[in-house]
Amino acid sequence: MRSNWNRWFRARQQKVSADAAMVGSELMQKWLKTSSIATIAAVVACLAAGPKETAAQTLDGESIVNSACSSCHKRLPDGGVDRISAMRKTPEGWDMTLARMMIVHGAEFTPEERQAMVKYLADTQGLAPEESAPFRYILERRPNVIETIPDEDLGTMCARCHSYSRVALQRRPKAEWLKLVHFHLGQWPTIEYQALGRDRNWWEIASTKIPETLEKAFPLNTVAWNNWQKQEKKNLEGMWQVVGRRPGVGAFAGTLKVDSDGGDHYAAVYDLSFADGKTWSGRGKSIVYTGYEWRGSSQLADDAVNEVLVVSDDGNSMAGRWFLESADEVGGDFHAVRMEKGVSDIIAVEPSHLRAGTSAEISIHGVGLNGPVSLGDGVSVTKMISATPENIRLEVKAASDAADGLRDVQVGKTKGTGALAVYRKLDSVLVEPAYGIARVGGGFTPPVTAQFEAVGYLNGADGTAGTEDDVRVGVMPATWSVEDFNEVAADMKDVAFAGTMQQDGVFVPAMAGPNPQRKYSTNNAGDLKVVAKVADGDGQLEGSGRLIVTVQRWNDPPIR
Amino acid sequence: MKKFLAGAAIALTASVFVLAGSPAEVGAKEFLVTGAKPDKLLVIDAKAREVVKTHTIPNAAPGLLTVTPSPDGKTAYAIVNGWESVSGIDLDSGKEVFRADFSKKGVRSKAMFGMDISPDGKELFVFLSPVKLGLGEYEVQDVHIAVYNTADGVGAQPVRTLPAPRRTALLLSSTDGTKLYAVSWDIVEMDPKTGKVTGTHKIRNWGRENYSEPDVLDVWPQFEQSGIFSTPYYAVRTDLSPDDPAAYKTGLVTLDLKTGAFEAEDFEDTSVVIFSSAINPVRRNEVYMVYTQLTKMDRDKHEVVKRIDLDHTYYCLNVSKDGSEIYLAGTMNDIAVYSTDSLERIGTIQVPGGADLALASIRVVDR
Ligand code: HEC
Ligand code: HEC
Repeated sequence: MRSNWNRWFRARQQKVSADAAMVGSELMQKWLKTSSIATIAAVVACLAAGPKETAAQTLDGESIVNSACSSCHKRLPDGGVDRISAMRKTPEGWDMTLARMMIVHGAEFTPEERQAMVKYLADTQGLAPEESAPFRYILERRPNVIETIPDEDLGTMCARCHSYSRVALQRRPKAEWLKLVHFHLGQWPTIEYQALGRDRNWWEIASTKIPETLEKAFPLNTVAWNNWQKQEKKNLEGMWQVVGRRPGVGAFAGTLKVDSDGGDHYAAVYDLSFADGKTWSGRGKSIVYTGYEWRGSSQLADDAVNEVLVVSDDGNSMAGRWFLESADEVGGDFHAVRMEKGVSDIIAVEPSHLRAGTSAEISIHGVGLNGPVSLGDGVSVTKMISATPENIRLEVKAASDAADGLRDVQVGKTKGTGALAVYRKLDSVLVEPAYGIARVGGGFTPPVTAQFEAVGYLNGADGTAGTEDDVRVGVMPATWSVEDFNEVAADMKDVAFAGTMQQDGVFVPAMAGPNPQRKYSTNNAGDLKVVAKVADGDGQLEGSGRLIVTVQRWNDPPIR
Repeated sequence: MKKFLAGAAIALTASVFVLAGSPAEVGAKEFLVTGAKPDKLLVIDAKAREVVKTHTIPNAAPGLLTVTPSPDGKTAYAIVNGWESVSGIDLDSGKEVFRADFSKKGVRSKAMFGMDISPDGKELFVFLSPVKLGLGEYEVQDVHIAVYNTADGVGAQPVRTLPAPRRTALLLSSTDGTKLYAVSWDIVEMDPKTGKVTGTHKIRNWGRENYSEPDVLDVWPQFEQSGIFSTPYYAVRTDLSPDDPAAYKTGLVTLDLKTGAFEAEDFEDTSVVIFSSAINPVRRNEVYMVYTQLTKMDRDKHEVVKRIDLDHTYYCLNVSKDGSEIYLAGTMNDIAVYSTDSLERIGTIQVPGGADLALASIRVVDR
C-alpha cells in the first residue's frame, strides 16, 4: 500500500517538476540568455565590499538614482520617485531589483554606481532589524531551511517559485504589492498554468486578496522603521572576540580587528583558530547597510569567505553566518562581541558536553571574562591551563554521580546559560538537518553538497525522546551511510547513482544530465535515507535523516 | 496540383520528395507535422519513417509551440517567436504564407498554447494573454481569442476578438464549425462568430461528491483523427484515507467534437503520470496516453488494457488514420512508432540534426 502511494507521490513530484520546467523553460531561457553567468555572479558578489568599493564610496547614490532611473521612473511632486520611493527592501532585495532593471529593462549603470545605489536605497528605504529578524536565514544563505508560512494560501500563491522570505523582506502599500503581481503575471504568463497555479483562479486571487494580505502583514510605514531611522548608527571600529563553527570540522575562535575604511566601510583583520590548533586568519572588507547589515568578504587562510551579520542595537555584538564564496552551503554560525571595558559575555563553551565520570579539557570563549569559574553541580575544575579575558582553558572533571542535564557556566558575574551538558548515556541521536537537499553538478554549476551532523540528545525529565524537554548534548562523531529512502528509490537504485556519503558527514552528489545507465535515462537525482551511527559507551545509537538529491538551480539570486 | 508540382520542383534541389503522391497514386498519404528547435517545421512520411521536408520558419526561435494544420493539409500554422507570433507555412514550398505578430508597441501578447482553425480553413483562432508595458510598470490585460482570416497572409491583423476564460490551454473547433470550445478550468462552448457563451462542460467545477476538484493540464491538440478531444485528469477521493492508493484517481475527459457528447470518468488508481492522449479513429474505444509510459485504455470499460515503459518521456502522440500506428513525439529528438495492437515498437524517426521537439504538437495531415 505504502509503496504504491510513494510511487504515486514520486510520480506526482516528477510531474510537478517536469511541467514546471516545461512551462518555465521559456522564461528560464530568456533569463539565461540575457544574464550571462558573469552577471549572475556579479549579483551575488556585489554587496560585500570588493576592489571597486573605494570608487563606489565616493559616488552619491541619490543622484545616480535620479539620473539612471528617471527615464522610466518620474519624479513625483512630493520629491519621491515613481515606484522607487514606495517600497523598502534589504540590500539584497534592492540589488535584485537593480539587476532586473538592467537585465530586463535595459537600465544602464556601472557596477560602482549599482553599489552606491544599493547603499543609498538600503540606508534610506531598508528594513528595521526586527523586521528582517525572522528571515535572516535567507540573507545568510542557510541551506536546508524549511520555512513556516503563516498563511497556506500565501504559501502556494507566492512561495512556490521562491522563498516566502523574498516576499516577507519587503514593505509596500497595497498599490505597490498589486503592481508587483502585475509584473509577475506579465513577465511569466505561464504562472496560471503551472501546478498550484492552474488549480485556482490565480490572477483573481493574486490581484485582489494577496495585495490586501501583504499590506496588512508588511506595510510600508511602521513604528519599527520610524524608530530605527531615528537611532544613532554605531561605529564598529575596535577589537572583537569571535566564536564560530564550521560544521563537520568544529568550533573556531579568535579576534577580529575592525578599522574604518571611510563611512560605513570597514577593513577587518581576523586572527582565528580551530579547536585542533589549525589557524584560519586573514583580512577582509565590509560594508554596513541600513546601520546594521554587515556584508563582508574576506580571505581566511585558503578560503574566500563572505559574512552576513547583524549588528546589535548597542553596537557591541554581531551575529550571523559565514559561508564560502564558491559554495555557500558550506558555512556556519558566526558571533562576535566587542572587547571593551565594561562588556562581558560568554559566547561559547567548547566542547559543550562532558560525560559523567570523565575528565576533559574545555575552553570558555567570551569577552571580559574575569573571576572564579563555576561549572555547576558535579563538575569541578581540576586545573586552570590558561586564562585571558577572552579565553579560559581548563581541565575539568564530571563526578560519576553528576546529574544528567545542562549547566550554567559562570565566570565571575558573567553567566553562560545552559552552556555545558553532562550526560552518562545518550538517549537518542538526531541527524541534522533532518531533511537535506543536495544538487547534482555540471557545466557552470558545481555540485551542491549537503553537510549532516549527528547530534546526541537526552530524553529529559519525561523520559521520552522527541519531546520539548529533550536535552541537546551536542555534535557527536559518527559513521555515515546512505540507503534508498523507499521502495521507489530502491527500484531506481538511487544509492548507486546519486552520489557519495563521506565520513565527515558531507554528501557529494553526482554529475548532472540524463544518465543512460539509469532507468528512463533519468538524471542522477535521488531520495536517500542518511544514517549516522554513534558509538556511545559500549553501545551504539543510530539516527537518520532524509536527503533529496535534486537538479541544479537555474539561477541563484541573492534572495532565493 | 500543377502549381504544387511546380513549386516543389523548384525546391527540389535538396530533397526529392513531394508531399502528395503522383496523380496516379490513388488514396491519400499521411504526413506527420511537428516542430524542432529552434525554428524547424518537420514534415514526415509516417509509414516510410522518413522526414521529407525540413522547413525553416523565419524569426521563430527559440522553438515551436502549438502546430495546427489547415483542413486541406497544405499549410501548417505554428506558434513561434517566444509565443509572440503565429506563422503559416506552405508544407510543399516551405514559404511563409501567413504571419501574425501579436505584440504591439507597448503591449506584449503571447499565445498561451490554444489555437485552432475553422473546418473551412478560413479562420484561425489564437488564445492570447497580453500585458501592457508601461514606462515603469506592467499592467496585465484581459485574455482573449484573436480571430484571423487565413487569407490575410503575412502581416495579418485580427478581424475580431472573442472574450475567453483565463488559463485557457486549448481551443477546439467543433467538426461543423458552429462551436468553438475553450479548454480552461472547464470547457466553455462559444459561438465562434460572436464569442457568446452557449454552454459549459464542467471539469474543475464538476462538484462530484467525495471527489476533489480534478487537475487537468494538456496543451497538445491531437484530436484530428478521431474527431474526439480527450485529456487525462487527476482527482482525489475525499472519502478515502490519504494513505489509501485508491484515493488517487486518474480519469479521462472526452468531448466529441461532432456530437458534443462529454464524459469524465475515472479509469484507474493513479499509478503513472500522463501528459496527453489520443483516440483511435478506427477502434474508437481505444485511447492511447503518454509520458514515461505508453498506455492503452479501453474507454468503454474504463480500464487499462496494456501499459509499457518507454525509453524516455514523450509529451504528445497521434494515431494513424487506419488506426494501426501510434506516433510518440515531443520532449527529445525522436518520434517513436508503436503498434496500436501490441504496443510494440515498430519504428523510430530521428529528427535531422538532433534538435529537440520540445513542446511542439504532433499533427497528422492527409494528402
Ligand atoms: C528602461 C526603463 C527603466 C529604467 C531605466 C529603470 N526602470 Fe525600474 N522599472 C521599469 C519597469 C518597466 C518596471 C515594472 C516592471 C518590473 O517590476 O520589472 C520597473 C519597476 C521598478 C521598481 C518596482 C519593482 C518591484 O519590485 O515592484 C523599482 C523599485 C524600480 N523599477 C527601480 C528602478 C531603479 C532604482 C532604477 C534606476 C537604477 C530603475 N528602476 C530604472 C523600467 C525601468
Ligand atoms: C512563477 C514563479 C513565481 C511565483 C508564483 C511568484 N514569484 Fe515572485 N518572483 C519570481 C521571480 C522569478 C522573481 C525574480 C524577478 C527578478 O528577476 O528580479 C520574483 C521576484 C519577487 C520579488 C522581488 C521583486 C523585487 O524586485 O524586489 C518579490 C517581492 C516577489 N517576487 C513576491 C511575490 C509574490 C507576492 C508572489 C505571489 C503573488 C510571488 N512573488 C509569486 C517568481 C515567482
